[in-house]
Amino acid sequence: MPDPRPQLDTTDGVVRVIGVRCTECGYPVAFARLRCPVCRGPVETERFGPDGVVWSATTVRIPVGDREPPYQLAYVDLQEGPRILAHVAGPDGAPASDVVPVGARVRLRGRNDAGDAVVEVLA
Amino acid sequence: MNVYIHGVGMSRFGKQPDTPLATLAWQAVEEAIADADRDGPDRYDNRFDAVFVGSVFGAPGVAQRVLHGLGISGPPVLTIENACASGTSAFHEAVTAVASGRFDRVLVLGIEQLSTVFRGPILPEDSDPEGRAGLALPALYALAATRWLYEGRVTLDQLAAVSVKNHAHAKHNDKAQYGGDYSIAEVLASKPIADPLTLLQCSPISDGAAAAIVGGPRGVAGDVRVRASVHQTGGLWDHRSPNVWGYQLVRDTAQRLYQTSGVNPEDIDVCEMHDAFTIGELVTTEALGLTGEGEAGPAALAGRTGLGGSLPINPSGGLLSRGHPLGATGVAQIAEITWQLRGQAGARQVPGPRLGLVETMGGGVSGTDGNACVLVLLEATHPTR
Repeated sequence: MPDPRPQLDTTDGVVRVIGVRCTECGYPVAFARLRCPVCRGPVETERFGPDGVVWSATTVRIPVGDREPPYQLAYVDLQEGPRILAHVAGPDGAPASDVVPVGARVRLRGRNDAGDAVVEVLA
Repeated sequence: MNVYIHGVGMSRFGKQPDTPLATLAWQAVEEAIADADRDGPDRYDNRFDAVFVGSVFGAPGVAQRVLHGLGISGPPVLTIENACASGTSAFHEAVTAVASGRFDRVLVLGIEQLSTVFRGPILPEDSDPEGRAGLALPALYALAATRWLYEGRVTLDQLAAVSVKNHAHAKHNDKAQYGGDYSIAEVLASKPIADPLTLLQCSPISDGAAAAIVGGPRGVAGDVRVRASVHQTGGLWDHRSPNVWGYQLVRDTAQRLYQTSGVNPEDIDVCEMHDAFTIGELVTTEALGLTGEGEAGPAALAGRTGLGGSLPINPSGGLLSRGHPLGATGVAQIAEITWQLRGQAGARQVPGPRLGLVETMGGGVSGTDGNACVLVLLEATHPTR
């Protein structure tokens, strides 16, 4: 099955999401699109991030399929870009234990072993 | 609308992995037929012009597989999947078909047997970007709860009060999965699922079936009029939205309902709504305009949305406590409001309601504000006791 999660570009050690932006209305999407889903304008590939702000977050405390708890998820609004769902890592790279506060500044740091986009919390 | 509910029925809801799904469906359909047949001019039997079925995780052919044993075969059977709103989507299509003259007498059936499919929570869909990232449904709702807590629009106690209320309601519903007297502290101290939501704030894995028969006017006491029914799919949900997931979809669908029916939120006497998680009931209460913004949580905590309050919500126990067999849930909500409007709800009866609202919304497709929201406004045709 194709991986539906956002594609990441890690050139130069900076992690960005490869998506598209509408050349007419400016709407950003974290995924490939044929046209702008808002205005049907043409889109161009764009890289978003690496920085963003947490819109909301939760720590999942139960196993979900093969995933072992706990793991932390956050909706992150990438700077000038789309909102993505990302896993949140603590300073040591393991899943963060305390739920990251809404409004926290975060940065994309790559993928975890499960292939999820991961952000780390900026001091 | 000149469409009426002639009869309703449901199986018990709960984990029933050893009971064939067909058996649960038969209980619901036979009860609905007997109910419709109570004292009408025409005898009711198993002949319908069509059957609309709500099912989410059922196998291909599940509807026909459970129906033919009742001798219901021949007329068209249509199976509808719309996540948690599958049952109400099937009901909406049946009502629309009767209103347009396409069919005269339609059976609506909701069926689901989750305990044979999932051992833990419902697994998120691997073909979905957020599902693949591990966004189980409790986590999706937890993200809404975290946001409202941050905005100061709800408190932990108010979230827990929804669970306390609905579990207390279900004590009076012998078809509910489980009920009980829990304290706010017990709800908050139950097993953590996805912060801030705890186990008692999440609807259980359930199996069950519910049925409703819709048709034209026949002047039989206890038939319930479908005043209005609307169905919408969510728009894009993204960085532009100031609202938590699902809020705008329910709000927009409600605006359509109020405009088409001429009914205002203040006119509604009782409501069965989608409370798969505690936060969902509070978000929905405000999106429906049943309270103002920031007022749903305080209303739940103060008992205003409980039995005996000014606007009873989920007298059945809701999805949290009656149980949530996805495809069956919407039809069970329809059945509950039908019983309420007839004055047949026993110890959980709301005094003398004339207008009852059913709301279901379902999700799972990331990037949208919800797969579907269905609102059904039902009206008593005879004075209730």
